Amino acid sequence: MIKSVKSTFVLVSICAVIAVMLALTNYITAPIIIKNENAAANDALLEVLPDGGDFEKLDISTFTLPSTVTDAYSAKNGGYVFKLTTTGYSSGFVIMCGINADGTVSGAKCLSSTETLGFEKTYGKELVGKNSESIETVDTISGATKTTAAYRSAVKDALNSAIILGGGSVDIRTEEEILLDNLSSALPSAEGKFSKLFITEVLEGIDAVYTADNGMGSVCVVGEDFIGVDSEINVISDVSAEMAENISSQLKNLFASKATEISIADYDGLPSALLSASKTESGNYILDLKGAGYGINGGNEYHPASGEYIYICVSMTKDGKIIDCLTVSEEETDGIGSVCADEKFYGQFVGKTEENYGDIDAISGATITTDGYKTAILRAFQSVKILEGGQG
Amino acid sequence: MSKNNNCMSVLTNGIIKENPVFILILGTCPTLATTNNVVGAFGMGIAALAVLFCSNILISLLRHIIPDSVRIPCYIVIIAGFVTIVQMLVQAFFPELYKMLGVYLALITVNCIILGRAEMFASKNSVIRSGLDGLGMGIGFTLALTAMATIREVFGSASFAGISIPFLENYKIEFLVKAPGGMLVYGLLIALVYALTHGKAPMKKSFSCATCPSAAYCNTAACKKEEEGDK
Repeated sequence: MIKSVKSTFVLVSICAVIAVMLALTNYITAPIIIKNENAAANDALLEVLPDGGDFEKLDISTFTLPSTVTDAYSAKNGGYVFKLTTTGYSSGFVIMCGINADGTVSGAKCLSSTETLGFEKTYGKELVGKNSESIETVDTISGATKTTAAYRSAVKDALNSAIILGGGSVDIRTEEEILLDNLSSALPSAEGKFSKLFITEVLEGIDAVYTADNGMGSVCVVGEDFIGVDSEINVISDVSAEMAENISSQLKNLFASKATEISIADYDGLPSALLSASKTESGNYILDLKGAGYGINGGNEYHPASGEYIYICVSMTKDGKIIDCLTVSEEETDGIGSVCADEKFYGQFVGKTEENYGDIDAISGATITTDGYKTAILRAFQSVKILEGGQG
Repeated sequence: MSKNNNCMSVLTNGIIKENPVFILILGTCPTLATTNNVVGAFGMGIAALAVLFCSNILISLLRHIIPDSVRIPCYIVIIAGFVTIVQMLVQAFFPELYKMLGVYLALITVNCIILGRAEMFASKNSVIRSGLDGLGMGIGFTLALTAMATIREVFGSASFAGISIPFLENYKIEFLVKAPGGMLVYGLLIALVYALTHGKAPMKKSFSCATCPSAAYCNTAACKKEEEGDK
């Protein structure tokens, strides 16, 4: 009994003495360690903002900054350093970006990434010296579009954040958010949910039509203006009576148009790319096509072909002018050929005819996809000619 | 005079005759892990030396107080305390070395050289002898690590203590810097030490208490019996 009490006492005493020694050492070394760590962190920050110094971490929760910004530091020279986390070809793409006091990029460095090609290591140099406007003029790198576009966009977020932290205001919304905000303000009753309408009739002076998912009406895009129309097709936005009349009559026409399916088997010589065709009362055609892109004609050891066609829907006037175009589905290479599902690509065909449909911007790094898509569009023109009784 | 000689031999024992790394084959893990560069290996050696010296002295001081039943926990607390103190000091004053050694610095706590010397020597010998033993063993450990790291860094990375050797730049054996290369160099050095101490190193005899370098301090029944038998 006494023995075990003694053992316990000795062990506890030794522990206590050691604990005191540790506390004393910690008391001496802790401030030095913190100073060292700050100096090391400063060195990393100095690399992207060489003129900075005396960096101070900012509480970013008190500002409305782009969501990519994860850390922000201010320097004594009025500049800032931002740590940004974004998604390029894959997620977890971390960039450190320094911004000078005059709002230009002083340096950008990739801290960690799992990008595939390694351009993230060098691309930052091309952004140095740019401000929030001129950064748009820096080209992305063909073949690494996703990586470099994400890099550029993250650095732009840093530039915008510097403006916000400096007391300025800047629009940090993405293009989609801006569009949705415009649509919602034109038609608040839609509760922020819209779908772009596939147009089957030629509309004069209307660029696009979005319908509310809850059936409360639609919004017409005319140039820069967003014009709300209620479910009875009455214009609710403040526009001239002439414009309102024009919009509502065209929309009535559009919504009333009915399409009848054509039996394509009855026609000789229709291209095999044509899957189905319908004709509207006003004589326009709606065509479903398949295009042989990378999924059919491509494939290599790095990016195997999917074996799937690109499915495209095209509406066209009877004299061969594209009214609207839409990529319905695709299985092209993710991040490269898959850009064909982006409206920025297929929207280029709107208004084109057989003579000038080739004048579109090809998809960077995806020639096979672009060529397959263009061939499908050519088949649409040929199909309409045959359906109209001419020769394709 | 003889006492002085005795003290001297305690100090020198650890350096060659009972070198913890090459003869006792203790502390193999940090030996392999930290010897791919000279600076890291030397730093590791010095850190272990400091812990060995301090813990040996403290354990020797407390050898009559610590009850036998809780001696190992007591040793571990003392050793871990000193390791943490060394770790804090290295982190504060040698941050580069701290980064280089990483987890191995904290792992000195479970380095068997230190616990081994505490159990086999410091708990049975006077403070001065224990301190000298810690110093000797620490120096032996440091020299062994530095020697091994020199071979690995010079031939593996064509540099010494971070200074590159242009002459060897095209003849690097990068394998030596990797773990298997470390094992190979370790094995060769053990063989070399064995060859150099031929006839002197205790290892040359057969495996028994008589061959054990720690037999003199060991108090297990078998060893005592053999020692007495020798007499």
